[in-house]
Amino acid sequence: MNQLLYDFALWLDAQSWSTQLHESFYMYNWVESTHVLALMISLGMLFIIDLRMLGLTLTEVPFATLARRLNLPMLLGFGVMIATGLLLFYAIPVRTTQSLWFRFKLVLLLAAALNAWLFHRRMLAAGCQGGNGWDRAAMAPATLRRGAALSIVFWVLIVLCGRLIAYDWFDCNREPGELVATLAGCIHGQTHY
Amino acid sequence: MSTGIRGFYPRTITVIAVIVLALAFALNGARVAVWSALLPLFEWMETTPPGVLGQTWGAAFAALQAVHLLGMALLGGSVLVSDGRLLNVLFRDVPTDLVLRACHRLFVWSVSLCVLTGVFMACGVAVKVYYLEVFWYKMLALAVGVAFVFFIRRPLLRDHPDAISPGLRRLLASASLMIWFSVAATGRWIGFSG
Repeated sequence: MNQLLYDFALWLDAQSWSTQLHESFYMYNWVESTHVLALMISLGMLFIIDLRMLGLTLTEVPFATLARRLNLPMLLGFGVMIATGLLLFYAIPVRTTQSLWFRFKLVLLLAAALNAWLFHRRMLAAGCQGGNGWDRAAMAPATLRRGAALSIVFWVLIVLCGRLIAYDWFDCNREPGELVATLAGCIHGQTHY
Repeated sequence: MSTGIRGFYPRTITVIAVIVLALAFALNGARVAVWSALLPLFEWMETTPPGVLGQTWGAAFAALQAVHLLGMALLGGSVLVSDGRLLNVLFRDVPTDLVLRACHRLFVWSVSLCVLTGVFMACGVAVKVYYLEVFWYKMLALAVGVAFVFFIRRPLLRDHPDAISPGLRRLLASASLMIWFSVAATGRWIGFSG
């Protein structure tokens, strides 16, 4: 699997556009800045929804109204974040594929997506559209509050891992220990990093 | 409303006076003199415990950056929701004062978190940022943003936001979005400068 990912990353790295994006000071930084600024939209909206669930903000606004209004900007922000994230990966494919933090980040993203899906299902099951009255309560039912708290924890860790990708402590060219090398997918005898 | 309007004009005069003073300060030699005088402060910042920690322990610096980003995300959320309400594109069916009140609380928490982590981060690279022009632009944008919120936007909208004319509400929201975008963009610019 790691060999396959490495070969794929090498193939991406050989594309001229990948090199051009990586070496373009302005373009790369524009993409990176857009990635970070989109976080202000998507995570900002997500945090407000989660904090509302926990009864910490906008408690007078019915939850269904809040989620309906904020879902679109949140999803737009996530769309931009994913698009720019893919471009950032495309610009530095080999190092990113073998970054321990990037791998943790991907796992956490999957966990956050699963949590969001479960959260949505539970929300519908709990009758969020005003069916049993909790829609207007200051705090959501316990199961949804747990989902909201988990969502915040996942995203805090995702942002932390995202920042840590920039650091090279565990990069394959620094010959890390066996456990880290396995987790990062370092290939024995690899020449490209 | 009348109280708000009476309070508005002295504040407007104060803000204009501050802008005139700031321009006078920027256009004469005092700016360079103050900048030079601040160098010892920035050198000292690097010797403080947060400064030493930031220079020697990369993980702590990265964690602070992550918390700074999370604070920015919350700040972005609060600004977008409150300005979206003022622009009448978000929460049209929810009373404006309710949205603004809740968002202001979030704004105060998030901006405090950003400033606190920002100071700690700056301690680690104090002399480097001292020589970065964009760092001073960011500080200027941040100061304008905070002054705008506490001396213009908040006093105008605190009591009866629905009594303010729609044009003025849109103007306030647009100005707020532009200011906070500038703060975030100059912050990113610091990241890839120097």
